[in-house]
Amino acid sequence: MGEPNIPRAMQKPRQVGSDAPFVVGLGIIGSAYVLLIVAMIVADAAFTTPGHLLAALDSPQIRYAIKLSLISSSMTAVLSVWFAVPLGYLMSRSRFFGQGLTIESSAGSGMTTAWWLKGVFLRTLKHLLDAILDIPIVLPPLVMGLSLLILFRTPVGQAIEGVFPVTYAVPSVILAQFSVACAFAVRTMRVTFDQINPRSEQVALTLGCTRSQAFWMVALPEARRGILTAGTLAWARALGEFGPIVVFSGATRMRTEVLPTTVWLELSVGSIEAAVAVSLLMVMAAVLVLIVVRAAGADAGMPGVVQ
Amino acid sequence: MNRQRGGRINVGWMAFVLSVVVFAALVAVLAWKPRGQAQGTEPIVLYCAAGIRVPVEAVAKRYEQEFGVKIQLEYGGSQTLLAQAELSRKGDLYLPADDSYVAMARKKQLLDEVVPVARMRPVLAVQKGNPKGIRTLDDVLRAGVRLAMANPDAAAVGKVTREALTKAGRWEAVNKHTTVFKPTVNEVANDVKLGTVDAAFVWDVTVRQYPELQGIELRELEGVAAHISIAVLHNSARPIAGLRFARYLSACDKGLVEFKKAGFEPIEGDGWTERPEMLLLSGAMLRPAIEETIVRFEFREGARVNRVYNGCGILVAQMKAGQRPDAYFSCDTSFMSQVADMFMDIRDISGNSMMIVVPRSNPKQIRTLVDLGRAGLKVGLAHEQQSALGALTRKVLLEAGGGIYEAVRKNLAVESATGDLLVNQLRAGSLDAIIVYVSNTAASKEHLEVVAIELASASATQPMGIGRESKNKQLASRLAQAIRSAESRGRFVSLGFGWKVPAE
Amino acid sequence: MIEVSELGFRFGVFGVAGISFQVHRGAYAALMGRTGCGKTTILEILCGLRRPARGRIVLMGRDVTDLKPAERGIGYVPQDRALFSTMTVRDHLAFALVVRKWDRKAIEWRVGELAELLGIGQLLDRKPHGLSGGESQRVALGRALASHPGILLLDEPLSALDDQTREEMYGLLKSVQRQTGVTTLHVTHNRFEVENLADQILHLENGQIDSARFGRGGCSGGPHESDNPILGPGTASGAHGRGDD
Repeated sequence: MGEPNIPRAMQKPRQVGSDAPFVVGLGIIGSAYVLLIVAMIVADAAFTTPGHLLAALDSPQIRYAIKLSLISSSMTAVLSVWFAVPLGYLMSRSRFFGQGLTIESSAGSGMTTAWWLKGVFLRTLKHLLDAILDIPIVLPPLVMGLSLLILFRTPVGQAIEGVFPVTYAVPSVILAQFSVACAFAVRTMRVTFDQINPRSEQVALTLGCTRSQAFWMVALPEARRGILTAGTLAWARALGEFGPIVVFSGATRMRTEVLPTTVWLELSVGSIEAAVAVSLLMVMAAVLVLIVVRAAGADAGMPGVVQ
Repeated sequence: MNRQRGGRINVGWMAFVLSVVVFAALVAVLAWKPRGQAQGTEPIVLYCAAGIRVPVEAVAKRYEQEFGVKIQLEYGGSQTLLAQAELSRKGDLYLPADDSYVAMARKKQLLDEVVPVARMRPVLAVQKGNPKGIRTLDDVLRAGVRLAMANPDAAAVGKVTREALTKAGRWEAVNKHTTVFKPTVNEVANDVKLGTVDAAFVWDVTVRQYPELQGIELRELEGVAAHISIAVLHNSARPIAGLRFARYLSACDKGLVEFKKAGFEPIEGDGWTERPEMLLLSGAMLRPAIEETIVRFEFREGARVNRVYNGCGILVAQMKAGQRPDAYFSCDTSFMSQVADMFMDIRDISGNSMMIVVPRSNPKQIRTLVDLGRAGLKVGLAHEQQSALGALTRKVLLEAGGGIYEAVRKNLAVESATGDLLVNQLRAGSLDAIIVYVSNTAASKEHLEVVAIELASASATQPMGIGRESKNKQLASRLAQAIRSAESRGRFVSLGFGWKVPAE
Repeated sequence: MIEVSELGFRFGVFGVAGISFQVHRGAYAALMGRTGCGKTTILEILCGLRRPARGRIVLMGRDVTDLKPAERGIGYVPQDRALFSTMTVRDHLAFALVVRKWDRKAIEWRVGELAELLGIGQLLDRKPHGLSGGESQRVALGRALASHPGILLLDEPLSALDDQTREEMYGLLKSVQRQTGVTTLHVTHNRFEVENLADQILHLENGQIDSARFGRGGCSGGPHESDNPILGPGTASGAHGRGDD
């Protein structure tokens, strides 16, 4: 007779209140941030005039800066993807490769010390790699620029400069952007490959593929969406990059001037209106490109559901 | 159903190939430069303080129009630019907003020629109409008045202001009261313009650039000025081209016009010529020491230096008769003082001792001035009126007392305007002893022997001055700079001169 | 046929000492055992996706112990099927052949053959997204069988299906296996599947394999008294194929 007596009242069917307050609450919190962004843009737009925008577009220096910004960001995006995909794949599939390589301990004994040490070594290596790849994200951009400058003053760097001028020339812009943007791309690709079932590649192996074939024919296509995300992320990051560029590439008009540099240069002579006009140009260009790329990506028949 | 072998399934590979094509296309677009920049004309890189940007840009544009040479301007705070130049070892010219940075750079041996340009003064900037009624430094320190400063460790105006205020004992208070520090003078000016602060220390010329601002003269900043000079970087790959632009920038009819327009106080610059010319009068004995320096100077400056070497007595006479050289390098102070009013910026350069010089192995066994008076000797001396050497010799002999002067004069066989001629005669064998400068013996040391004269007056000091009426004062100044340089010093010292330029 | 001798490996914290078993050529064997005692691992080892600590594997008379998965000539259907989400069903069926650089016409012909065998002709241009459980199972099968492998490994192929579909699949699997003659190892914990399909039953329990003939309702049963996961010595049990004994 352990059953408690459940009072009548508690036996009524359960009723909960409306979900509306919850959703509205979420909406308010989220929209606060969205509003902040929109408010900044509106304030900017109010501060400048269409005249300034047109004057900015008229200036040959600013047109060059637009061209350099867009092209260098695109190049950085492509480069970042080229490097981020293999790196992300390696880091994500390290265990996958390991399975073919590490020998399960000999039956009959517990963990052997050698096996344990090997495990520790590989894990430490992985953590170290993670930390290194976080450096460009964590370091202030100016420090990245300074480090690049110093790097190219070393004997190795000077040797490279002898063949191919980098410091204060256009290639330095792309290198500076790439150093930072690629780290973001790697993170994205790592997460992408983590989410792709390694079983598909394993099946591909059984079907006769080498690991290389399994990568190109199975893993890579499945990672399409992730690659696009990594690319656009790198592109956006590269477009906004300023610190490393101004230290490593200088702020030379018609040569290494990118749009963020233009804003800084205009500010440095007190042309605040011109600086804001250029900022708005940047915002418009970036938003336009991102919308187009995402739309094109969705059109290419990628599944709406992330696998 | 028309599938190629492995076509559809190799999407990954196709995507990669596509990305390569896209990348190559981007490189191509970027590399295609509108044919403005031919291969050979590398621009001249000039590190320019942000506050001086306006006139410098104008001058650079003019220069490009006139000569087709591009000037690439890198802006920043004076200190920041110095660090960049030092670190990257690239760049041709450095134009900070104050001389103290030039001195700093000189100490680090980063600079070669320095050309003065203009002056500007720090003032306090407020919004036009002075809404907060700020008139004195105490007004600035009121509660409710927000102040912006350009970082004294990065920008010249901050440094100059800090120095002035420290001298007036007000720096601590101002530093504490400062609302915000920014890296360059333009940024603090912006802040006043935007209204985020009420006042900031800027240059007088900065105020002119901003119609929204007005300047307040503060008692503590009275007489304080920043001297702007442009310097050639030692590591420059194109020093001659850089120096040429520096000359253009500091020419009173070219670059300085723009500076004046922007409200700067320009210095008295030389007029612009493609190939400037100047006249240098110099004591003959200085020739071996400075000739090489002058040749190099001519090469770097693209200038022509007309040299006249002679005994100082002759030179002084010429000047008294009306000749006005751009620079005069005298054998001795006594000969400079005779024409001192014609020259400015007179500085001692070197010292030269007088010696008795005899043929090697001293056949006549001459050891003191007294020996020179022995009967039968043939002595050569410099002409008393025509040369400093002669005048000094006379002074020394008279000082030695004991009738030596007369005795030596009796033995006088040759009297010459310059010491070099005496040395030649001695070597030819027609003289037994001469009294000349130690530097005169440098060229034929192996054939000669020197006997020191133990008298304080037996040495000369060589000063150099810039002609007051010279039309090329800056050029002459730079020649003087070159002669005072460490390289030149080496030449002087190896010839036996003493060095009298104080260490920087 | 499949011949496994003295196979030893670890999975998780458990270990298996030395198991041996044989499956005759053309036979349909079921591998039973409790969830989590290593059945999937055995399949992975047979595929070459995992290296055992010791032991030998002979497939179709070849010692494949040191060979890569691509060289073993097996077809593998994993538990979650792992279809290629960006490819059509047709591409799935053609995959193994494209890799082997078959002629285009030959590929087309084989794809048609497989589609008919598995009844998925109408799905050829579909992508895996949206296929039903049974349909995707057929596609996975077709993908595995395309290149005429000698061995077929199925990891719990029917566990996610409803009863009706499962019934259909029994028939399909049997007919496919009979028609192609492929040696099949089918991992399951379901008694009915075993009864319907298997000629040979292998029990994996406590690190040992017991072979049983068809008909012995073996137990993928409940807890054993010595539920101790540590390995005992291997028991070499003779293989009993159908018709023996």
